[in-house]
This record gives sequence, structure tokens and C-alpha cells, in this order.
Amino acid sequence: MKIRSPNDLHYPITVVDLSKQPKDSVERFAPLFTYYYESTVTEGNKYGDEKEVKKKFPARFDSSIDGQLVEWYIKGGSVIHGPGIDIVEIEEPCTHETQFGGLCTNCGKDMTEVDYITDERDIDRATVNMTHDNIALLVSQREALQAEEDAKRRLLGVKRLSLIVDLDQTIIHTTCERTVAEWQNDKDNPNYDAVKEVKSFQLADDKLANVAANWYYCKLRPGLKDFLDKVSTMYELHIYTMATRAYAQAVAKIIDPERKYFGDRILSRDENGTDQIKTLHRLFPVNTDMVVVIDDRGDIWHWSDNLIKVRQYNFFLGAGDINASFLPKQTELVTAAAQAAVVEPTKVGRSKDEKPSAETEALSIAAKPTDSTPKTNGAFSELEQQLISMGGGDDPTLLEQQAKEQEKVIISQQTERPLLQKQLLLDQADETSEVEEIAENGDVPAPEHQKQRHSLLHDDDNELEYVEACLRRVHHAFFEEYQRKRTGHQGGRVAELRGEKSPKKRLPDDLGNVPDVKLIMPRMKRAVLQGVSIVFSGIVPLGMDVQYSDIALWAKSFGAHVSTDITKQTTHVVANRSRKTTKVKKAARYPHIKIVTTDWLLESFSRWERASEEPHIIEVDPAEHGPHGASAGGSPFEDLEDGPLLSAEDDDPVITGDESNEGDDGEADEEVKLDMSDEKWQSLGEEFQDFMDEEGDSGEESETDSESVRSDSSTQNRRKRKRSTESAESSEAEDSDGSVSSAAGTKLQKKKKRALERTTSLSNVVTADKSSGLPSPDTTGPDEGQGDEDNGNGFVDDIDDDGAALEAELMAEFERESDEEDL
Amino acid sequence: MFFLYELEKTIQLHPSYFGPLIRSHIHRELLTKEEGSNTGKYTIVCILDSFEISDGQVVPGTGYAEYIVHYKAVVWRPFRGEIVDGVVTSVIRAGFFVDCGSLQAFVGRGMIPSEIKFDANATPPQWTDNAEQVIEKGTQIRIKIKGLRSEMDRMYGVATMKEDYLGPLVA
Repeated sequence: MKIRSPNDLHYPITVVDLSKQPKDSVERFAPLFTYYYESTVTEGNKYGDEKEVKKKFPARFDSSIDGQLVEWYIKGGSVIHGPGIDIVEIEEPCTHETQFGGLCTNCGKDMTEVDYITDERDIDRATVNMTHDNIALLVSQREALQAEEDAKRRLLGVKRLSLIVDLDQTIIHTTCERTVAEWQNDKDNPNYDAVKEVKSFQLADDKLANVAANWYYCKLRPGLKDFLDKVSTMYELHIYTMATRAYAQAVAKIIDPERKYFGDRILSRDENGTDQIKTLHRLFPVNTDMVVVIDDRGDIWHWSDNLIKVRQYNFFLGAGDINASFLPKQTELVTAAAQAAVVEPTKVGRSKDEKPSAETEALSIAAKPTDSTPKTNGAFSELEQQLISMGGGDDPTLLEQQAKEQEKVIISQQTERPLLQKQLLLDQADETSEVEEIAENGDVPAPEHQKQRHSLLHDDDNELEYVEACLRRVHHAFFEEYQRKRTGHQGGRVAELRGEKSPKKRLPDDLGNVPDVKLIMPRMKRAVLQGVSIVFSGIVPLGMDVQYSDIALWAKSFGAHVSTDITKQTTHVVANRSRKTTKVKKAARYPHIKIVTTDWLLESFSRWERASEEPHIIEVDPAEHGPHGASAGGSPFEDLEDGPLLSAEDDDPVITGDESNEGDDGEADEEVKLDMSDEKWQSLGEEFQDFMDEEGDSGEESETDSESVRSDSSTQNRRKRKRSTESAESSEAEDSDGSVSSAAGTKLQKKKKRALERTTSLSNVVTADKSSGLPSPDTTGPDEGQGDEDNGNGFVDDIDDDGAALEAELMAEFERESDEEDL
Repeated sequence: MFFLYELEKTIQLHPSYFGPLIRSHIHRELLTKEEGSNTGKYTIVCILDSFEISDGQVVPGTGYAEYIVHYKAVVWRPFRGEIVDGVVTSVIRAGFFVDCGSLQAFVGRGMIPSEIKFDANATPPQWTDNAEQVIEKGTQIRIKIKGLRSEMDRMYGVATMKEDYLGPLVA
């Protein structure tokens, strides 16, 4: 090791004499050389005079390490001007590359000792933790690199890659509810078939204060055995879970009793160093070229390129991930409820209520206090740790809170037993439907008919088959490329070998040919949804940035383009079957836009191929386009006009984030207040509908009339607005200036304006086009917007003619709408 | 190495335990809290039955009573250079971990004779000389302690098997 001039000397210093010669052995604290430095001091004489004198001070430089002196970089008389200059090279007998609990594993010395001479702490030489099941063993960067190269070479030799497998909700699902045990013992229970394979276990070190020995019920994902069997021939498997060590080991015992798949390669929360994220660098500190990850959560991996996100395995409904309480809360998609709706319509209400509650957060093993302290883990930089703790992760009070919450939940799960409740609810629903059936048929049902109960749990997941297929493809692509690269380099290497290259030098070259999974996988994935432009509607919860929602990020990783508004490029609208949002209705007018459920996306994701849209298409009834649109014969001008009117009828209780974009800010300051009850509103709506039908008939003529009145001025305004990016308020002001209205009712006029604005913001094609980098004027978007607005004017003028009653209706509508959006 | 050691412990007792059985409560408290605990220097293995309990003193403000217990215990303290037997708990490329009672020791690659090589492809992974010496999880092994470090409630040790008569114990 080189010794450099330290920071704390009085520079410049002049070397006087070297005390050791090359090949001498040097002990710690032994003097290496003597030097002197100059400094000014104040000297006084006996008369009390004081003067500043420059003086030379001799000093000694001691060695901070043991070893044999190799080479001097200085000689007697040389002047060292500052810190960081090489002084001497000393070869150490032990470089302390591997340390265990602060002890060097080679020489057994205590690495934590620090004294006045310590230049660099020995403990800082080994900072990388790459062991699965131990946090005390640290190695140096060099050692880590070497270990990894060894591992790589070994894996290439047996044609395998590394696969990191998550446990909870990826390959298993666990709950603590003892209802499962009861169902297992009851052959007549409708759920018996589903739960009979469930394995249970207890954890010895489970020391929750109020909960005695807790039983865990663990359901393996269907086809797991097969999956592990096949995948383990292509991959070396690791477990990486956010559960505690004891839990991970118990589960590993169930899924791998002979320990032939995973061996000891289990990494749990206890060894992870942080509760917030998983990182590949914990296990593969240097190189992640040959690592693939499967997990049900992308966020904790920061959507790493090594990740294959799998569909969540949710067998015990409502149990969620019992070990996820310490992770950042996952944003629940509205889809979750919708999916449940497909499976079991009777419990939609419940599952919707329950999802955001503590149950998803679920129970887990008590937090060990040691978890809160960040552990020495070289893989995490200081900054990263800080960032994590800034996110609130390491806040001890928060941790305590989480632990308490878990305890509460564990008790509530054991006492309230949501599964049982759900099954009871299901049974009730069955009974009522039967009663209805009897009433309808007037028949006495057959006795066995009565016994037919719906089961709550369904064992019909086949995700692992797809995952396996994907893994096989990745494996194949990887080794194909590896082979190609290797043969490509063969010539060069043979030539190299002819020279006197030692095999040692050839080896890194060999590894240089290893392709990168981080490049191969994204390439394969991006091809899946290439050219697909998706708009989400009613999927992403309110208040969430659509672009950064899980599903959007997921879709993007497959090459899809996600936008917030329907544009010319839009190819798919992903929506909920039960909710016809404005966007869905708008998209329905364009035959090239496919309106699909999230199932289509998920199917594409899990199969890594663009799934057929057919089974997932949401049929939008043409009647729902609104009578006006229907009568107008499908011209885009006519169609888009429906926007504001229909959005009013579209009284959807749940406003989602992607929808809220459509709203206009200006509507917040509503002046007119109308007290409307729901019944009143409904009757008004019907009236309005009637009117609309009428209007549809007379639409053509009224349009031509009204167009002349104001279309010019307002189109001007519209254009202005398009150019400027001013706020809604200012543009509104502009509006009211520019359009000299014929009618006296200014308030209504304002509403109309807002209605118009809404329309345009809905079909806000201009901005979207810009974002996609295409020239906007050629697109049909702006034209549509314009035309739509013209029609809007015409239509509103008609209303004016029709009288005050309608005015009130309109106001009520807008009022209601704005209220909703304020929410 | 094992020692007989005289120790002292202050035990606080909740008022609900005050009564004729107070001695047995103190005894139980002592056993559950102290036996098996590690002070960083040594581990208390077994507390002997003869112990002395001082007069109790009620702590002002709480109602708890404080007893000072003098007792003798068998303690175990490892030393550098000591030869110990243990069980292998984990085998990795960098070496293997050995549990020697309360001490977790690590035997690094440099401390393993060079003829014993690491085999990662074996299940479970093992260190072996392809003859009778196989070190895998669960193997009983004799090692020599090379270094020790103690923290508040735990001890770390590094050990070697690069000397005569060290290595896996063949039953």
C-alpha cells in the first residue's frame, strides 16, 4: 500500500533523512523518515520585547501500517508541499480483504481499532456485503469483483443465469386466518378443494406480545413445482424477500424441501439493510449482466431492467402481502376492484371497501428493533441511505407505528376473519338468488341444488406457465447472443493466444463477451407493445400522475406509449367495463381505437406478446353515444359536440386521476348555486334528454342559423388560446371580451363558455400532438375542436330560445359537474 | 474455556409478586434473564443453585422492589488460540461459518488448507478435497480461534483449520 502525505502536517515540509531502506520490514509506529518544517513564533526576551521569529522544527513521520518497505518516492532534502503526495510503498502481509464482524478473516486482527496514526480505517477496506444470510461478513471491492467473475464463469459453464425470486404474492400467497384450517378439515366446504393443498407452519421466534403462536397458511401458486423444476435447469435460483429470515426459511422448506432449487441462497429483510427497496447490488455488487428478477412489485426494484414483473398472486382474497407493511404503500389500482367484479360480482362492494383498509397492509412478524438501524452495507451509498430515510423509511417512530399497526391487523385478521365473512356473504347471496329463482320458477328446487354454494377461493392461476415461457425465451436469447459473440471473437482470440498471452489475461476477455440481460430483456419486451399508444380511463386513482402509475410504467416497459388524452395516435383505451367514462365514449367514435379492459394489458404483459383484443373489448353501445351523435350520422363535428353534454349525464361517483385531467380549472369558481336533490336532478336529466332528442332533429337548421352569429369571434378566441398557454381564467376573460353576446343572461353565457372550454380541453389534441413531436396543424384534432365549438354555440343559442326552465337545467348540470370535479 | 464465576445481578420485582413465593420468583427471573445471555466477554452457561438474595428495597416512586442477587455460574469464554468444536451453519465461496456454542466464527478462504476447494455446483455447496474431507452445512468441525472481537451482547470470531488435527470430525 502506498502511504501518501496526510492532511494534518505543517506544509511545506523538508525531508531530512530516511530511516528505512527498501526491503526493510516496517512495524506500525516505526519511524519512516525525519523532516523539519518552518513556522513563525513569538519570542520574548527579558526586557519584555516580543518579536516574531521564523524557526525550524524537526519532526518524525511514523508508519501507519506493518509490512515490508518496497520503494521510496522521496529522498533526503525533498520538499513536500501538500497532502496527497506519494511517500513510500509498503507491502502489507495482509490486506484485510475479507472481514467478519470487524475482524480480518486472514490475520484475525481487530479492524475497528483507531489511533492517532490511523490514516485510513482498516474497516473501510471491506465494505461490500454479498452474502445471502450474513450481514457481518464484508469483502473489499476487489474481492467482490473476483467472486462475481468466478460465479459468472461457473454459470456460463453450466449454461445458466441467475434468477432472483420473490416469495409473497409472486410464487406463494400466505395468510394468517385460521378459517383456512377449518375449511381444510371440512370436506363439505365449497372451498375445500381450493385449500386442501395449503401448507401451514408456525414460527418459533414469533414474539408478538398479544398474539400467541401464530399459524401461517401458505398457498403455492399453481404449477410451482413444475415451474421450479424447469426453471432451475436454466437458472440458479435465489430467494429475495421482504419477510423475516425465519419466515423465508419456513417457506423455503415448503417449496423446496430437499433444498435443491434454492440451497442457502435466501436473502430476507433481516439481511437486506433497508426495508424500503430491493436492490440487485446487495447480491451482485459489481455486475448484474446475468441476473433476472421476478417479482410482483416493480416499484421496490425501481423498475429495474432486470425485472420481469409478474401478475400478483392473490389467492386469499383481502389478505394482500403479509410482509409488505414496511414497504412503501402500493397504490391500488381501480382495476383490482374491477377484477374482483369479474370473478364474483356479489362481493364487489365489499372488496372495494376493503382494499384501501388496513387489510391489504396485512399482518406480519413483529418488527425487530435492529431493523431500523441502517446496516453496514457497501452496496448502499450514504446518499441512497439518506434518501431512503428522507422518505420516512428509517424514522423510528414510523417504524414503531408500522409495527403497532401490524399487531393490530394481525389481531383483527384473527378475530374478524375476512375470508369467513366473505364466504358467508357469498352464501347469503347464493341463498337470495335461489329464493328469487324459486319465486320466478314457482318450482321447488331439487335437494342437491340447495347444497350448491359458490366457493370464495379459486385455484385457477396460470401465470407461472407464462413466466416460465418468458424466462425460457430470455435464457435462449442470452446464450444465443453469447455463442454468437464468442465465435465472432474466436479468430481474434486464437491470434492472441499465438502470442504469449497467459490464460489469466484471456479470462477477462472471455467475460467481456458476455451479453447483458439488461439490454436483451428490454429489447424483447419493447417489441411486445411497439406502436401501441394507450390512454387510461378510470384505471388510475385520483390524485396520481398517470405517467408514473404502476400500470403505466409497466406498459411503458413493454414499449407502449402512454398519454393522458385521446389523440390521433391513440390505438387503445384501457378502461373499466363497468364505467363508461367520457374518454371511453369519445374513443368509441373512432373505429381504429380499441377500447379494452386491463385484462388485455395484463395478458400481453404476462405472455410477452400482444394479446388479441377480442375477448377484452368493451362494447360501447352506440345508443350511449348520445342521441345527438347518433342522429348526426357520425360526422366528427357532430360527434365531439356530445362531450360536455354527456359528461353531465355521466354521473360517476368515482373520479379517477386520469379523468380529472379533463376538467377545467376555471370551473372551480362557480357563482350560481342551485340546490338540487338527486330526484330533481334525475327528472331534469330526463327532460333534458327529451330536449336533446328534439334538438337532434332540428339540429341541422339551427346550426346554420347560429353559426353566423358568433362563430367568427369565438373561433378567433379559440385560436388565440391555442397559441397562448395562459390560465383558464385569463382566457375566459378574453372570451367574454371577444364574444359580444346576443343574449342578456351573462351567467348562462359564462357557463356556455365553460362548456366550450371543456370540450376543447377534452379534445386537447394540440398539446398532445406537440408532445408526440408531430406537426399539429395537419391533424384533424384542431379542426374538430373548432367545429365542435361552433356547434356548441349553435346549440346553446337554441337553448336560449327555449326558455328559462332549460336554463336552470343547464346550470344545475354544470353545477353538479363542477362539484364533482372539486372533489 | 469454562469458568466458575461469581456474579451479581440486580432484579426488580413487580409488587404483584410480593408474597410467600417471592424467592422462587426471583430465582425464575434470574434463570430466564441470565442463563444463555452474552455479556460480550463471556456467555453464562449455567447458574448454580446456591445464591444469595439481599433484602429487598422498594424503589421510591414506582413500587417495584429491588433485590441484589449474588450467584455463581458456569461461564464460557473463548480465547484466541483456543481449539473449539462447532457445527458448520453456512458455506459460501469466501469460507464457512461455524457455530461454537454462543460464538459465531468464520473460517475464511485463506484459513482453509489449499487442497480443500470450494464446490459451488454441489447441492448444498461445499468445501471438499474430493476425498473424505467434506465441509457442508451441518458438518461437525474442529477449528482454532485466531481472533475475537466483542460487542455489547455478541462475540465475533475468526478461526482457522490450517493446522494439524483441525478440520471436519469424522465420526
